[in-house]
Amino acid sequence: MYKPRIHVTVEPLEYYRRFLKENCRPDGRELGEFRTTTVNIGSISTADGSALVKLGNTTVICGVKAEFAVPPKDAPDKGYVVPNVDLPPLCSSRFRSGPPGEEAQVASQFIADVIENSQIIQKEDLCISSGKLAWVLYCDLICLDYDGNILDACTFALLAALKNVQLPEVCINEETALAEVNLKKKSYLNIRTHPVATSFAVFDDTLLMVDPTGEEEHLATGALTVVMDEEGRLCCLHKPGGSGLTGAKLQDCMSRAVTRHKEVKKLMDEVIKSMKPK
Amino acid sequence: MAGLELLSDQGYRVDGRRAGELRKIQARMGVFAQADGSAYIEQGNTKALAVVYGPHEIRGSRSRALPDRALVNCQYSSATFSTGERKRRPHGDRKSCEMGLQLRQTFEAAILTQLHPRSQIDIYVQVLQADGGTYAACVNAATLAVLDAGIPMRDFVCACSAGFVDGTALADLSHVEEAAGGPQLALALLPASGQIALLEMDARLHEDHLECVLEAAAQAARDVHTLLDRVVRQHVHEASILLGD
Repeated sequence: MYKPRIHVTVEPLEYYRRFLKENCRPDGRELGEFRTTTVNIGSISTADGSALVKLGNTTVICGVKAEFAVPPKDAPDKGYVVPNVDLPPLCSSRFRSGPPGEEAQVASQFIADVIENSQIIQKEDLCISSGKLAWVLYCDLICLDYDGNILDACTFALLAALKNVQLPEVCINEETALAEVNLKKKSYLNIRTHPVATSFAVFDDTLLMVDPTGEEEHLATGALTVVMDEEGRLCCLHKPGGSGLTGAKLQDCMSRAVTRHKEVKKLMDEVIKSMKPK
Repeated sequence: MAGLELLSDQGYRVDGRRAGELRKIQARMGVFAQADGSAYIEQGNTKALAVVYGPHEIRGSRSRALPDRALVNCQYSSATFSTGERKRRPHGDRKSCEMGLQLRQTFEAAILTQLHPRSQIDIYVQVLQADGGTYAACVNAATLAVLDAGIPMRDFVCACSAGFVDGTALADLSHVEEAAGGPQLALALLPASGQIALLEMDARLHEDHLECVLEAAAQAARDVHTLLDRVVRQHVHEASILLGD
């Protein structure tokens, strides 16, 4: 008698191949289908902006805190955006406690690249007084439940949290040269682009599936992440080794990424609209 | 803070509660798929979640394995955005280590560790938003998570904080009340037997007042127990419906 639970433990690859032959996956999705995405914005009141994103079971929370800093000497008109991705042992038994592991550091660097390349925020907007005072936005992303596709979830959480950030008005007092913060007057950040990440897993060197779960990532022979913004511009392409892909396959991925961007943008606009106006 | 009355003449606190009143508690079990047991709790504005893995084989050095009982490993982490001022180190600093140790001591008293020799139970607690009473919220969340994981315990572990202002004992302190600098008591109780798992107190308190503060904390912990019990029963009820029983 065929026992799926035993088959998946003993020969996971064979188990997956049986589904892929029918062009679907064990959780019932098609190869190009994303898991249910939900987003919750502004739940953490101690943070200046926050968002919780669930991509199937993968849960990532992003909290943004704004502080003052002196702008860098070589760019006195610019502020800072400092992202950090934390994959704590609570999200999955594969992670140990201690200093950030390889995966967390790669994810942090990926998010930093996305921020830099997509120009989601103009760093000049964060400057309060040239050469003296600027905002630094610390974006901390914590993964609470790891079930694959962490990069997509982190990018989405970051975008949603940044859209939720409200910075108070700051003016420099001419006489005392001290900053005066007016907490009553807050304004949203100027978000210039909306980068959305779409991740793919390559299976058996040929098949591409979108939004891999933890199990699928483990069995995959390669991975690819494409970050698009709303004008169909490519912000970032991340292909860390693994099986090779032809140009045609890459084009397919990019068109899927464009569709995903529309889905995500629609979801986020709905959520922001549904929030009570302040 | 000058002019901030922690307890008004009519007996109302800063957030409008009475002296012995708890903040609104909302809790859910089984929130995460990866973990063996998980729970999320909101006590007023304090949001904490607890995740339990285990019992499983000891990670790292086998020499740490105890031949007659399970090893309980607790880790406390407070998100950098959880407090008003950004926290530089979410975990690994002294306060987090101390909290982790206190949580471990609390749960070693409650979990029936003799049933799982040579294994390890991991309890991870993450505070997403801190507004006072973080230890209590962590213990309550961890209790629910351990229950969700199906690990046998002697009893619920319910915790609450208490303070003393103007001759009155206050239960379930918020951040404003904690920061005011008065005496603070954190109590973890096993409600059925009335036994205290952990008791910690900061600042000076006259011994005459200890009785009433302790009683306020114990009563608050028993109220928390009523709530947590309801949450567990609701969760089991929902689970049994899903199983089609």
